Amino acid sequence: MQKFVIKIGIYGVLSFVLLNAIAFGALFFLGKSQLYKPQFLKNGVPTTQFDYIVLGSSTGLTTLDTKTIDSVMQWNGLNLSMDDSSLNSHVLMLEYFLSLGKKTDKVILCVTPWDLQNPTNTLNDNDYRFLTEINNPVIYQHYQTYDTKGLAVLKYSKYFPLLGMSYYNNELFFPALFTAVQPNKRNRFDEKGNYTYPNAQNAVVPKEPNTIQLSIKNPAFQRMQALCEAHQIELLIYQSPLYRQTVQFPDGKETIINHSAILPEDLFYDPIHVTSVGRTFCTLAFCEALKNNE
Amino acid sequence: MLFNSLEFLLFLPTVFVLYWFVFKNQLRAQNILLLVASYVFYGWWDWRFLSLIVLSTAIDYWVGLQLEKTAESSKRKLLLGLSLTANLGMLGFFKYFNFFVQSWVDAWASVGVTMQGTTLEIILPVGISFYTFQTLSYTIDIYRKQLQPTKSFIDFAAFVTFFPQLVAGPIERASHLLPQFYKKRVFQYEQAAAGVQLIIWGMFKKVVVADNCAFFVNPIFENPAAFSSGELAVGMVFFAFQIYGDFSGYSDIAIGISKLFGFDLMVNFKFPYFSRDIAEFWRRWHISLSTWFRDYVYIPLGGSRGSKGFQLRNVFIIFLVSGFWHGANWTFILWGLLHALLFLPLLLGNWNRTNLASKSYGWLDVLKIGTTFTLVCVAWVFFRADSLSLALTYLEQLSSLDSFSLRFFIKNNAYTLLFLLSVLAIVILSVRELLWVLQKRETPYLNRYWTLFLLLAIFFMGSFKNQMDFIYFQF
Repeated sequence: MQKFVIKIGIYGVLSFVLLNAIAFGALFFLGKSQLYKPQFLKNGVPTTQFDYIVLGSSTGLTTLDTKTIDSVMQWNGLNLSMDDSSLNSHVLMLEYFLSLGKKTDKVILCVTPWDLQNPTNTLNDNDYRFLTEINNPVIYQHYQTYDTKGLAVLKYSKYFPLLGMSYYNNELFFPALFTAVQPNKRNRFDEKGNYTYPNAQNAVVPKEPNTIQLSIKNPAFQRMQALCEAHQIELLIYQSPLYRQTVQFPDGKETIINHSAILPEDLFYDPIHVTSVGRTFCTLAFCEALKNNE
Repeated sequence: MLFNSLEFLLFLPTVFVLYWFVFKNQLRAQNILLLVASYVFYGWWDWRFLSLIVLSTAIDYWVGLQLEKTAESSKRKLLLGLSLTANLGMLGFFKYFNFFVQSWVDAWASVGVTMQGTTLEIILPVGISFYTFQTLSYTIDIYRKQLQPTKSFIDFAAFVTFFPQLVAGPIERASHLLPQFYKKRVFQYEQAAAGVQLIIWGMFKKVVVADNCAFFVNPIFENPAAFSSGELAVGMVFFAFQIYGDFSGYSDIAIGISKLFGFDLMVNFKFPYFSRDIAEFWRRWHISLSTWFRDYVYIPLGGSRGSKGFQLRNVFIIFLVSGFWHGANWTFILWGLLHALLFLPLLLGNWNRTNLASKSYGWLDVLKIGTTFTLVCVAWVFFRADSLSLALTYLEQLSSLDSFSLRFFIKNNAYTLLFLLSVLAIVILSVRELLWVLQKRETPYLNRYWTLFLLLAIFFMGSFKNQMDFIYFQF
């Protein structure tokens, strides 16, 4: 019995150390890469002063083309949107951006009605992408606050990186091995942080037009407002086109560019995303609205 | 409670420490601990269904004692009938009630008669098919005078509910497992070390092989018409490895955990995908169930005695019952029937024992193994499909050979990576098992390098995010 317990203990500890060392190594390589937006911002973007940054989920990522905005407005911007994220993660991205010592005059916040109306903030599907930056207090705090279910693998990954690396092995571990060889590879976004869908329509099912009377319930929105105010950043709200849906916003102090209903139907990729041609259409319309606001 | 869950990670060491350190050398206290732990383990899923296990245990315990007391044949038959009725009645109600009602209504509808059938919202208690068969083996063996009944309710209840194998087997015989509860258990290093190896091997099969394959299998079987022949062929093979990894993985973990507590459970799988014909496959696949049916159904029916026609009847009955045991769906019955048909030529040609004795493999065996694996895979389509029509659509689309495109598996980087991981996992599993087969081993054995390699694979290739329940829980 004693022999068994000792051996299990020794092998257990050795395995645990080895597995954590491998996870730590993988995290190290990933942290030096530009694979996901947090690593890209840290390692691939030397600029520290921006005229604007775009924050949002997949709609922000694929609707506004910062290259076009820069060329039309003569600005310098960056798209920091991440797919499968929500307001909570957009706040985190801004906090992280500021923690790196970078500055911006404007934040263009691409919103969705369902996100604004959601009163509960949880960990988002792609928040693991910040794991390489877990020693940054804003990231650590985010995981402490929102990773509360089950084993809370991200929460404890600061000390045991095996947890996060193992749980998200397809998303972190194997890509980390890849980035050891190709550190400049980016995961589906260009050098300005943009991504576009192709021009073919994917899954647009005709439906009756409707209007969403929006009331903002998401507490992360107030956090975004406060953060922008504290850093003298102008907050611009942008509502991207939705297939046969019109969004009506409540009055507020921010400038709202509501383009929920401007896009011709054949330029939708799916009910909430636009095609490549649709992206150009939307970005030019957005610039036009900006100019009118100025 | 799932073996691959956080709760179990805390539960197992706690029970282990109490068992070997606190209640060391106290047989009765150890058995009580195992019983309580087993009830907690089962009740974690739904404590209400504990009442079914307790009821079944109480009835069979009482029947066992009464059988010992009486020599009168009619009374003994009555007692056995009570045990069979109670156990199979519960199983029938929870598992098959709706199926029979619906089939009755459908049968009349097919000849134009509209019937009203009332189906019930019944939750199937996890593992009911397993523990029912296990406890039945007890009363049947006592009835046959092959086993002495136990006087200890604790021992018997601990045998019925023994948590490592309670919900998905192996289905233990009372004659094999129950006496182990009477004997003082002494901790043996080799036994416990072998148990840890089995747990690691089983975990690899479950979280690396089965759960990664499941990611692709589920959407393919949901809508087979949307996939190319090539994708369906890969989906079929992936399911073969999913169900094998899932079920045999559970058995390995169960056997491994039992070894940690000083118990030996029967081997449930002997590398079945290296079978050279269907008869050999059934001697290597879910051995505890096939031998249960052999001993308690097939042999009482006459077995392989009598004319060929008589033998054929028995074989068909055994495969149909085996299919039906898996679930209340025509797909399982057809799966059983298909295996019976595949067994038929072997029986008629007296070849069903050809590969039984031979453990040596020649080049011709590679062809035989490939053919058997292909046939088993085709049959798995019926097992996995949600309905007969979906199974037929699957096979129709597969045999159309319309396209060998594998686009679904590589539609984006994440899918491609997962696909490659699944293939790699299958290769590792197959190579490891092939080595054991060539070494003429019947059970897994891992040296320290393999153990470490599998640990790495579990943590860095395992599907923790897309974790699936064990498939056989539903049976």
